[in-house]
Amino acid sequence: MTFFAPFCLPFIIGAAVMFTVLLVKWGVWLYRLPRTDKMTILRGIPTRRTPQAVGEVVGEALLHRSIFRVDPLLGYMHMSLAFGWFLLIAVGWIETVAYLGLRYVPLQGHVFFKYFATGLEHKPVFDFVMDLLLLFVLSGVALAWFKRLRSRALGLRRTTKHVLGDRVALSALWFIFPARLVAESATCGLYGGGSFLTGSLGGWFSAHLSVPGLMNLETAAWWFYSSCLGIFFVAMPFSRYMHIFTEIPLVFLRRYGVRSGEKASSMDQFQTQACSRCGICIDPCQLQSVLHIDTVQSVYFLRDRRYGMLRPETADNCLMCGRCAERCPVHIDLNTLRLNSRDALRNLPDERRYEYLRGLDRSSGSGKVGYFAGCMTLLTPRTLAAMERIFEAAGDAVWWADREGGVCCGRPLKLSGETDAARKMMRYNTDLFRKHGITTLVTSCPICLKVFREDYDLEGIEVLHHSEYILRLIRAGRLLPKHDATRFTYHDPCELGRGSGIYDEPRAVIEALGELVEPSETRENAPCCGSSVANTAIDDGAQLQIARAVAAELEATGAEVIVTACPLCKKAIGRGAQQPVCDLSEVVAQRIG
Amino acid sequence: MNKRVIVIGGGAAGMQAALRLKESGVEPTIVEREAETGGKLRDWYVLFPSFTPAADVLGELRRRVAERHIEVMTSTGVKSFTSREVTLDDGRRLACDAVVLATGFTLFDASLKEEYGYGLYDNVFTSADIERMLSRGRVAKADGSRPRRIALLHCVGSRDEKVCQQHCSRVCCITGVKQAMELKKLFPEADVFNFYMDIRMFGPGYEEMYREAQQKYNIHFVRGRISEASPTIDGRVQIKAEDTLTGRPLRMSVDMLVLLVGMRANDDNAALAEGAGLRRAPSGFIAPRNLFLGNVESDAAGIFLAGTVSAPKNIGETLNEATAAADAAVEYLKRS
Repeated sequence: MTFFAPFCLPFIIGAAVMFTVLLVKWGVWLYRLPRTDKMTILRGIPTRRTPQAVGEVVGEALLHRSIFRVDPLLGYMHMSLAFGWFLLIAVGWIETVAYLGLRYVPLQGHVFFKYFATGLEHKPVFDFVMDLLLLFVLSGVALAWFKRLRSRALGLRRTTKHVLGDRVALSALWFIFPARLVAESATCGLYGGGSFLTGSLGGWFSAHLSVPGLMNLETAAWWFYSSCLGIFFVAMPFSRYMHIFTEIPLVFLRRYGVRSGEKASSMDQFQTQACSRCGICIDPCQLQSVLHIDTVQSVYFLRDRRYGMLRPETADNCLMCGRCAERCPVHIDLNTLRLNSRDALRNLPDERRYEYLRGLDRSSGSGKVGYFAGCMTLLTPRTLAAMERIFEAAGDAVWWADREGGVCCGRPLKLSGETDAARKMMRYNTDLFRKHGITTLVTSCPICLKVFREDYDLEGIEVLHHSEYILRLIRAGRLLPKHDATRFTYHDPCELGRGSGIYDEPRAVIEALGELVEPSETRENAPCCGSSVANTAIDDGAQLQIARAVAAELEATGAEVIVTACPLCKKAIGRGAQQPVCDLSEVVAQRIG
Repeated sequence: MNKRVIVIGGGAAGMQAALRLKESGVEPTIVEREAETGGKLRDWYVLFPSFTPAADVLGELRRRVAERHIEVMTSTGVKSFTSREVTLDDGRRLACDAVVLATGFTLFDASLKEEYGYGLYDNVFTSADIERMLSRGRVAKADGSRPRRIALLHCVGSRDEKVCQQHCSRVCCITGVKQAMELKKLFPEADVFNFYMDIRMFGPGYEEMYREAQQKYNIHFVRGRISEASPTIDGRVQIKAEDTLTGRPLRMSVDMLVLLVGMRANDDNAALAEGAGLRRAPSGFIAPRNLFLGNVESDAAGIFLAGTVSAPKNIGETLNEATAAADAAVEYLKRS
């Protein structure tokens, strides 16, 4: 057997281009990884992280378990295309071995095996299995077509608006499997074989077409099938379909502990190109649902960044609330990528601007417990007053880091991309904390909390959000708030919930005071208050619109008091709400002594 | 002319409009939500720029309303209205031939600017509090002692995107100058500071008053908004600001911080406007039909606007506009 026919050329060329580009891309990205990351990978390979990564690749890249969680039908669509195609290739390979034994067969021999195997005795089991798998994939293609018409039925209110290259690749992909069906059926019609799908269609062809007609159809269909494959393969490394293979190394690198950081690195390539532009990130975005802005979501941000056409307006217009990252089926670290794009666009440190930091110390009091109010708590002094009462009631001696004014924690600057300037503030505050010898650092601002935990080197100092601190005091019996019949509802601040994983502590504190009723979207799905310091693009009116939408959800719970645990959320929701909005510390302080 | 016009709101604008209507031979009825007429005028001590007691103006308006036997319904809120019918909160419906809307404004709630500590720290007051204290004849710190340093902060709840009040309330600048002078008269030994973004002296005699405040009263004007206030151990208020003329940050402790609160649109403007087919400006105030040739008319025929329901104004302007609105209503009734 020669395993060659002229129609194989588009496929062969396409596959060669694809694998070459793919290997070059991966090679360059890996080569450009920082040395520490390379060492991390080498150290990770002989550990159990490797089999874990293999498991994740099967679970996610093939079975698409994460998408099933978004919508079962959408999950099935992705699974039938990915896993179905994979099985067609794998079972097709076994089929070749079963027919021909273990011998070298070129790639096109496997892919177009039905065309070359007409002279061999048929094995009906394989015919049946291969037809079943083809049907499996075709059902996915049918769903993909249907999704174009009615995306809502597949759990997506809005879908991605694609660029031309993606549309070409998408069209080729859509035709690959119908073309394969017609091509294999035509061959079966001429030479027999096939099962319920290709066999039946082939029988129908031979009943309705003349032999020369069917031969022409066969040639045309195989050419078309091969061309679709060729076009798809050539387009693949340059289009959204790059995700098919990129997700695999991404899973391994992530398992080994390689991460993107506040400065752009080669790891970012693995992440941006692993985006399939599925558009699952669009629906949870409040800029879309409330403000109808539909050009800045993660899918468009990653696309623009990948093709080098990222504008500051797109990079900046994001609340960084993390709702999209929570749903991303590829688990791309969307906020970090957004952050290092901003760094690349804006980081221009002014050396003289921060000279005032030298020798500055406005802190007061002394104690092992330090309290850092942060800029936003200083602008919401009710929280500050409440914390004073709580510290007093608990009998903790407190060192006040910034009650008389202090230096910003650095996170707002970092979020805007001025990472080097942010580092100066972080160094200043770290030195200040160390100088005063505190062992516990309490803050009532989740923005400060996140940066203290993630970017500060505070070994030996336990960093607590005030919700954690208050809960400890209550559990230790050092704080005895009165329980009454008040109905509270709670808004999860982004930086505290999704950002720092603190969901239960504030709820436990509220339950010690009264009844807690949850709004419809809560915990991991809680909306952003709209005033995020991460967004420097939308104006105040737009922020207010988001705040009103959030306040309406909270008021719909029927609660008497809206509680949150972030000074910024409190201020934001307060101007959109009719009901009182309080910080957690305020409602606690009202109920002690 | 046997026609009836309902004037919604019994403040300066409502009373003046009713008087003018009566003068023109139309029967007005004032519908007032509060237990008495007078509106915000009841809360002011003396009026800029002439230091005329507000009670003089209010007393005269009330005397005329009583003298001319104008029907006044007090403690009566309006739920909705059209040019032909006004529905009251208790469900009663009053038929009429036209409506003059004179429901005024709401004072900005200073506690929304939490960073200034109103309602949280002692010795932070609003300009309305100062008027009340002046009326009672007792201005003092919370502990009863005399202030030695006073700061007045302009634009609280005006020209402030952060609290969604983009508009200028116009009269707070001159109120700040007036109150600074009054406080200086009461406490000649005290230092009085005005913190402002711009000083907008739009009325007759205002600029002269501003000059007098600086030259004769030695009141200090600092260009810069106060960013935050915090309490000190001895019960004073520490303020942080930037003097934007010298470009320097500034901190000082004061005995009294006075917040010059702005005018904002009433909360019920939205519902009333929707029911009557009126348009609202982005600020929430009711928009006149035309800013030049129809500025007391609304988008709906037979509904006229008087006073601060359509935008912040001073009392003189309000009274003029009430007269114009009444005249426009009379013209409308003649034609219909």
